[in-house]
Amino acid sequence: MKGVFCEELGTPDSLVLRDVEDPGPPGPGEVAVDLEARGLSFADLLVISGGYQVKRPLPFVVGGESAGRIAAVGPGVTDFQAGDTVLTGGGCIERIVTGADNVTPLPGHVDLVTAASFRSNYATALYALQRGRLRAGETLLVHGAAGGVGLAAVDVGKLMGARIIATAGTDEKLAVVREMGADHVINHGDGFREQVKALTGGRGADVIYDPVGGDMFDESMRCIAPFGRLLIIGFTSGRPALAKTNHLLIKDAEAIGLRIDAMIRDDPARAARNERVLLGWLASGRIHPYVSHRLPLSRTPEALQLIADRQVIGKVVIVND
Amino acid sequence: MRGVFCETLGSPDDLVLREAEDPSSPGEGEVAIDLEVRGISYTDLLMVAGRYQVKPELPFVVGGQAAGRIAEIGPGVSGYAPGDPVLAGGGCIERVVMRAERVTRLPDGVGLAEAASFGANYATALYALQRGRLQAGETLLVHGAAGGVGLAAVDVGKLMGARVIATASTDAKLAVVGDMGADHLINYTNGFREQVKALTGDRGADVIYDPVGGDVFDESMRCVALFGRILIVGFTGGRPALAKTNHLLIKDAEAIGFTIGALERHDPAWAERNRRVLLDWLASGRIHPYISHRVPLSRTADALRLIANREVIGKVVVVND
Repeated sequence: MKGVFCEELGTPDSLVLRDVEDPGPPGPGEVAVDLEARGLSFADLLVISGGYQVKRPLPFVVGGESAGRIAAVGPGVTDFQAGDTVLTGGGCIERIVTGADNVTPLPGHVDLVTAASFRSNYATALYALQRGRLRAGETLLVHGAAGGVGLAAVDVGKLMGARIIATAGTDEKLAVVREMGADHVINHGDGFREQVKALTGGRGADVIYDPVGGDMFDESMRCIAPFGRLLIIGFTSGRPALAKTNHLLIKDAEAIGLRIDAMIRDDPARAARNERVLLGWLASGRIHPYVSHRLPLSRTPEALQLIADRQVIGKVVIVND
Repeated sequence: MRGVFCETLGSPDDLVLREAEDPSSPGEGEVAIDLEVRGISYTDLLMVAGRYQVKPELPFVVGGQAAGRIAEIGPGVSGYAPGDPVLAGGGCIERVVMRAERVTRLPDGVGLAEAASFGANYATALYALQRGRLQAGETLLVHGAAGGVGLAAVDVGKLMGARVIATASTDAKLAVVGDMGADHLINYTNGFREQVKALTGDRGADVIYDPVGGDVFDESMRCVALFGRILIVGFTGGRPALAKTNHLLIKDAEAIGFTIGALERHDPAWAERNRRVLLDWLASGRIHPYISHRVPLSRTADALRLIANREVIGKVVVVND
């Protein structure tokens, strides 16, 4: 079978597509899964460059979140049978064998590309908005709204009853963001502070969801409402900002850091609950994961380059050749 | 009557004790109060220097929170009789006239000095710990624990069931903090991070209450637990710190700014509820405001100097000559 490997840290063009031995049959408590779709994210780009918080030992398979079909079940596994569609990990490889507890059944009619694209983005968005205690009727400002975690926050934020102001860097991206349900969109090329103030009667946004950091964070601190919550999702700008504590004090505001992996590790019950909620929303069509690009396994480096070049809207998904 | 006035911004030396006209009799809905005790705080020192966020117009009477007895009742006021002990505002002056609804009747058994000294500090501490969502069993790290707002946080934190680690700069101050119930005391002239780590099995503190800022905030960021909350109470260290957003992210931590003034303004019902809770705790002996100095009105400047020189533990109050 084929897989896409990172053998040395670097750029997408240093990745290697090669044949590896099939994993053996699943052991007790395990299942074999034929993967069909994998979502790639900005984090995967960071991981292959060695710039992510968590370092993986080389060589490793690119990517993580995946969807596929059960190929075989090991002894003692009763929850699955061959052909079931599932969410799991694994990334850019054709087949994995993993513990049955690492596999989540999908509602039958959810297509695998959508399923592979939504999990980490929507889990991050939902968890972040919970940490930010977003309430219906509040104003949510979403930065990087055309990116995967940004677009998910627009989608989930609307569902939670917020009024959404969304920023992105091009009008093409903003068109998708508006279709996702954002009430107001801002091309942040010329800044956003004055427009956010104007849209909120001078108050500013109640919750600000910031995957960008750097200058976006600094400017966000200047258009946050009293008692506002600024959610620190990541630093796609490459520069983690410094939050002025005297501004936080004057605004009665909170700067809230969060990582979805820490929550999954430290509060697995909450992670499972959120996943059930999200799968329910997905199955009932209440959330709308957006996939701008589908590329075959053999073109995985191109997919990562699209992310690096900020061409992706929502998600890029790797399907089989 | 006499009052202590700030006529030009500056140091305590510039304050003027002088005669002022008695206020006229209370009008409709008003009461006249003979003040007996006033609490003085670091905020008052900042106001005199013109360095507080809120700048009152010159000249102004020094101080704010005060306790005294009803002297006269205006038309339409019920529920008060001359001689009733009350909590009011007014500061370092002998008599004030104010709206009856801005006056709080003191329960029996509460001393005027305790009442005058506890209001702002305990309101700040209780509100802060609510904003920080302190849970029983969590570890609370209180900086500047011998200061007014610090000592109140030790007292309220213990009552809320937290394990309290307290820092201060001298052993004499720490002795009082220990009497207030702190579980662990740290003289932080040589830092506190390692000791906090050691006392928490390396986890760090769940909630950090920081009225000091500057280097103390920076070091706090290095011993906050996962999912911890750092409460930005003020900047007695003189330098508001910059919170590294990447550290907040890695720790899933929150930096929470607040001012008690904003609570009064934005959520008066919450402020009033807290006042009632605190008065009830005071009357039933569950909290223990500490007064290190009592100074007569004519020496109000000395009270402010004691604060400037960091000699006050808990509170200094100004009584009548």
